[in-house]
Amino acid sequence: MSDDADKQNGAEAAGRPERPIPDPPGYFEGESMTRRRAFTVAVQGIGGIAGAAIVLPAVGFAVAPIFHRGKERWEAVGPVGDFVEDTYRQVIFTETEGIGDAGKTTAYVRKSSKQLDEKPNEIVAVSNRCAHLGCPVRFVEAAGNFICPCHGGVYDFQGKRIGGPPVRPLDHFQARVRDGQVELGPRYSVTSQLEPVRARDPGEFTGGVWEYLYPPRPSTFPPPSG
Amino acid sequence: MKPADKQAYLEEYELLKKKGKPFFPYAVLKDSAMMLVVVGVIILMSVLLGAEQGPKADPTSTTYVPRPEWYFFFLFELLRVIKPPELVPIATIGIPTICMVLLLLLPFYDRGPERNPIRRPIATTAGCITIAAMAYLSYLGATGGSPTEIDMKVAPQYEAGKEVVAGSGCLACHKLGENGNNGPGPELTHIAQRIPRAAILRSVEIGPGIMPSFRDLPPKKLNELADFLSSLD
Amino acid sequence: MKLDSLIPAPLRKPAKPGASNGAAKGPAPADLKTAPAERPSDAQRLGDRAKDAPADVLAWVDQRTAASGFLTGMLYRKVPKGTNWFYTLGSATLIAFVSQAITGVFLAMFYTPSATQAYASIAHINNDVFLGQLVHGMHKWGSSVMVILVFLHMGRTFFFGAYKYPRELNWVIGVVLLILTMTMAFTGYLLPFDQRSFWASVVGININGTGPVVGPYLSDFLRAGPELGATTLSRFYAIHMLLVPGAIIALIGAHMYLVVKLGTTAPPWLKADKPKVAASVSQLDAGVEGNGAAPPNGASAS
Repeated sequence: MSDDADKQNGAEAAGRPERPIPDPPGYFEGESMTRRRAFTVAVQGIGGIAGAAIVLPAVGFAVAPIFHRGKERWEAVGPVGDFVEDTYRQVIFTETEGIGDAGKTTAYVRKSSKQLDEKPNEIVAVSNRCAHLGCPVRFVEAAGNFICPCHGGVYDFQGKRIGGPPVRPLDHFQARVRDGQVELGPRYSVTSQLEPVRARDPGEFTGGVWEYLYPPRPSTFPPPSG
Repeated sequence: MKPADKQAYLEEYELLKKKGKPFFPYAVLKDSAMMLVVVGVIILMSVLLGAEQGPKADPTSTTYVPRPEWYFFFLFELLRVIKPPELVPIATIGIPTICMVLLLLLPFYDRGPERNPIRRPIATTAGCITIAAMAYLSYLGATGGSPTEIDMKVAPQYEAGKEVVAGSGCLACHKLGENGNNGPGPELTHIAQRIPRAAILRSVEIGPGIMPSFRDLPPKKLNELADFLSSLD
Repeated sequence: MKLDSLIPAPLRKPAKPGASNGAAKGPAPADLKTAPAERPSDAQRLGDRAKDAPADVLAWVDQRTAASGFLTGMLYRKVPKGTNWFYTLGSATLIAFVSQAITGVFLAMFYTPSATQAYASIAHINNDVFLGQLVHGMHKWGSSVMVILVFLHMGRTFFFGAYKYPRELNWVIGVVLLILTMTMAFTGYLLPFDQRSFWASVVGININGTGPVVGPYLSDFLRAGPELGATTLSRFYAIHMLLVPGAIIALIGAHMYLVVKLGTTAPPWLKADKPKVAASVSQLDAGVEGNGAAPPNGASAS
């Protein structure tokens, strides 16, 4: 590699050839090498412990949110009668608490459709967050599609990708009916066959081997069963 | 670089330095003048362009069209032109990471002694191509419209159809004049030259190939759409 | 002069004129000049003292720091022949960073890093604070100017081949500084908390998330949770205000130390073999090669 010249220069500058014993730098008379080694180890050990004592708690503090799962919350978004099978109704509800408007999100909600071979009498709530990189998708009534204004992703009526770069269908929210009111809960993602999996961030594939390449995060809720 | 080359460079550099002038005040004068220009430009931009706030952040929006700051336009456009989903991680993480590693390690793989850009054709060409590519992508990113809007003048009777096309997401896959994306669908700019109105209507209803069917559009909108598209010749 | 040995070799070289001896350059050390032979009037003495005061202070500091040797070495070091305007891009970037740092500190005095209040605090800066819009605008546009200058500076270094031996390490530091600058641009973008900045951050965080295996966790780390939440903004704020600027300042220091130590490059098309100096050099070269030994003196510059 590079550095024969450097070595030569270094050798000439540092070690005069006539010097007999290559003393370590800073050698003084009567110095014992074992003592020096012991001191070196002690310095590294003490310094390392002190450093770790500062850094480790700080790092733990910073990464703790990765392992923290918030409280599951459900919010009523309207009476069951408001929602129909053949089109979506746009609802706004709070997904993250404590930050006011910035914690709200939009969901498109409808009843499950017999024509599309979905389980009867369920509520389907589709997130407006594009599965490509998270831009806000819009449901276009006329075409029955969702389209994304950023990079041109297109999804069909069920939220399956039909064009553009998105990597999976649109996310869903868990939904249930309580006292005649539709309630929306935690977010979950779906595979290309619309099987529920744990919520993934946009841009992450779901299903098959991708479940290992983009592992589920402890901060998300388990998907609804079946 | 061989040791002899290094030696030669250091000697050469020493000679050039001997013939040079002291840093202070000669080089510093140029530096200070440049600094003044920079500060002047910043203040001027601030005075002229201000720092206006956009509307407040609203995660529930379904109409907002996000656009990045200009110096991320090339990345933005890269994400848009790379269509197949399997390649998304390559566009988002792969290409930028590779570029950064190549940049970081530049002195370790380009070790020739030559420094003159004219006598380093490979490096100079690579640099120019990179700059041109980034400039071109930035330009596309800056001028590319949203796939939900069509910026195009049409006769008044076709306005309604234009709105249907814009609102149905056609531009996600089709190019229409200066709007939309080139592919995977065919360009629509002169679609009426190639297929008649009936065929357009049939394609929209059936959705040939990977194209989704737009059968669910109300008949009135379908007709407006077909009117608009069959006027494009 | 004892402390001189601590100063790196190229800096130690005293500049030719005036500054022949770094430490003794100023007036004689303060404690030696206490007893003047005659006794001038009080006013005159006071005047003299006042006139000497700056020099005295400098001498006092220098005696305790030996800084003048370093400073003269740095200021009067030779810059190679042919240095032109392209070489000012580095200091232009530096002043852009300084401008960002100063305006940033003042913006921080009025800004509230909270998802519910950030937008209002920026509106307050813009509308109510004296010169608020100007300082905010300088910070906003300064970031664009700084990014442009960083790229121009890098382009100059690339095309002039200035990253080659012996300046490889400085190139690496420079690229890290580029990455940190882009990090600043990204984290700062969320802070105004308007639509543009919000969605840009959403997309940016999700881009991080597409990295296989670690990506999803990195996104959670950036957001401090599975969704953009209460602590995301303060996290970005801390990174933007403390973490990255600290790293940038440290690396700028290292960058500039290496520039001073290794010297700025000459334009690559310039060759030294010109008039009579060149002749003597080629003789020297020939002589050396005749002896078959590498000349050690050549390297004394570095």
